[in-house]
Amino acid sequence: MKISITDYNSCSAAGADIHRLRASLSSQVSGLRSNDLSGSDVPTWIGRVTDIDNVHDLGVWQSRNNVLALIGLASPSAMGDSIQHSIQHLIKQLGRERIGVVIGSSTSSIDRTEMAYTDLSDTKSFKPAYQQPRVHNPHAPGLFVAHHTGIRGPAMTVNTACSSSAKVFATAARWLDAGIVDAVLVGGVDTLCLSVVHGFDSLQLVSASPCKPFDATRDGINLGEASGFAILQRAEDAPASQHTYLTGYGESSDAYHMSHPHPEGEGARLSIAGALAMAKLAPQDLDYINLHGTASRANDSIEGKLITSMFGDAVPCSSTKGWMGHTLGAAGITEAIIAFDAMSTGLVPGSLNLQCLDDDVSIDIQAENRILSCQHVMTNSFGFGGNNCSLVFSRGSN
Amino acid sequence: MSHDSTYKKSHTCKVASIGAWGSYFPDTAALADMLNAPICSSDEQLKEKTLDEKLTEENPAGKYSAGPKPEAIPANERRRAPLIVRLAVEASWQATQKVGISPQDLKCVFVSGLGDTSLTDYMCSVLASDMKKLSPTKFHNSVHNAPAGYWTISTEVMGAANSVAGFEHSVAVTLMDAIIQCNYEKAPILIAFYDAPVAEPFKALLKNEHAFAAAIVIYPEDSDKEGTRLTMELSSVQQDAFQESASQESASQQNTSINWPVLATNNSYLQDIYTNNPAGKVLCLLERLLSPAMLSSPFTLPVSDGVSIRFTCSQ
Repeated sequence: MKISITDYNSCSAAGADIHRLRASLSSQVSGLRSNDLSGSDVPTWIGRVTDIDNVHDLGVWQSRNNVLALIGLASPSAMGDSIQHSIQHLIKQLGRERIGVVIGSSTSSIDRTEMAYTDLSDTKSFKPAYQQPRVHNPHAPGLFVAHHTGIRGPAMTVNTACSSSAKVFATAARWLDAGIVDAVLVGGVDTLCLSVVHGFDSLQLVSASPCKPFDATRDGINLGEASGFAILQRAEDAPASQHTYLTGYGESSDAYHMSHPHPEGEGARLSIAGALAMAKLAPQDLDYINLHGTASRANDSIEGKLITSMFGDAVPCSSTKGWMGHTLGAAGITEAIIAFDAMSTGLVPGSLNLQCLDDDVSIDIQAENRILSCQHVMTNSFGFGGNNCSLVFSRGSN
Repeated sequence: MSHDSTYKKSHTCKVASIGAWGSYFPDTAALADMLNAPICSSDEQLKEKTLDEKLTEENPAGKYSAGPKPEAIPANERRRAPLIVRLAVEASWQATQKVGISPQDLKCVFVSGLGDTSLTDYMCSVLASDMKKLSPTKFHNSVHNAPAGYWTISTEVMGAANSVAGFEHSVAVTLMDAIIQCNYEKAPILIAFYDAPVAEPFKALLKNEHAFAAAIVIYPEDSDKEGTRLTMELSSVQQDAFQESASQESASQQNTSINWPVLATNNSYLQDIYTNNPAGKVLCLLERLLSPAMLSSPFTLPVSDGVSIRFTCSQ
């Protein structure tokens, strides 16, 4: 499998576009802040995108999630003016029906549903301003992205919790291989909302401090919000100037518990092994792994021990959640972009906030950034329901 | 390059088995009876023939209105499992039992167009109150992939499980995606379609009042497995054949401009599921798979505002 990535962009608390994300990564400046989400009193830190609060003119599409998608589509992208500009170019070239949309999300636009519930009518129904069927449903981000970009090909939203926007790459690769489309806009969009901040708090999973992935003293996650997009095309159709490819994916299930990972990481092992096998790579061929690394006690212990057993200390690893928090359904693509962007920039981010590595873990991880030449990188995403996805990206000539 | 002739125009899989559940039909055989019942002059006549009237009078929501109790989920888990989880798992269990394959050998794709509005209602009601204290179990059950999670946990499936949504295009886009995955990965796939009645505050914008689930197991085109061949062919919709559903006006309502295939049965209950339950759109496929006389008649479903898929079944 060789699928080209012809443009991409990321929007999170660590930077509203890929260029600002690169600057934050390079300077190790975190976007996390003490929880100031409207209506929430949970003592924790969050990765909030402040630009969202300035956009109120989406009409019947208005939701925090859709505004976040819009910023990711409109802000300066890696290889073009913006993702929406690159899509306009592709529409002229291919036709709007020959482009697909696959977006990952866990909350879709539930932020808007929460708001509707604070202002229900006397008959306990949504007031006219909230009568937005295309917003109050799980496919909302897919519908909005297709609407905003003018894409008219098949559109789908993947909702597998925190693996959602990793799985969109696998889906897009299969659609391209089958020839039903000539390009796919994949993405992940997930906003902060009361459901996730108070939901993860009910599971006692949030930290009252900035999160510290893989640190011995870590005590929970910080929630964040992000949108990320990538344009995928078959390698033979892509411009010769681009050299970043999706070369493998692995998808698996834990078959263990709705909210606790498999204690030996068996599902995660399957997704990592599956992605390596599809990319025809041995573990030591990887130059960097962006870990799921949520900073929860369980995830980092299980993932850390699994990576120790599969890779030893042969591959540089890090969790980048200290920059923007755990962005849930957008984490997959946010971290995929960080991983494959490292092949272009040579900047391999460190594991921000790591001071003392967990005793159970013996992997090549450090707080400081590194400058490395990367040929193959991996990213891991594990979600509720025991849903796992690993991706391998490679750099090469077309 | 845009319409590359090197790529196949059509994609085929084999449908090896079907599971189904609704408030008036506990399994596929009962659904087939309803679909194949003689066309009656009035719905009342049909009702007499197909429904247990006494129970219906006592409980208009349906003979099985409490929802299915899938044996695949252990009893202690089943009590806490939300309705859409039980719907999805019941239909999936029926389909896999019939085909004689272990669920562990199946990848799966789960789809619901509306998600779990009952849990959304619970969460949003709590979060709109002063005490924002959520139940941790209800929170983890609120993820859209809860049905896929319960399925993989209950049946010890460690393969790929997907959970997707496509609003009114849910059935078409999921069939398309699963058929492509089935042939790309050369592996059989379980597809589950399910939607539950919407919670009260959503009723003004999302219409569905019926619980419905169906599941099919598909095999790659070149598999030796016996099954009905299902072929799909995508084509662009003419610009003037659909209204500007991307416009601001139509975004405020469900898209009514689509010409959905006509369902042959005049059973008003099934027609209501077909019209208002996003997962119920799969009835136009089930009708062909369960009614020999209808098998070879193709049908076309929109998969987006610009593309439709023509499906053809054959033995």
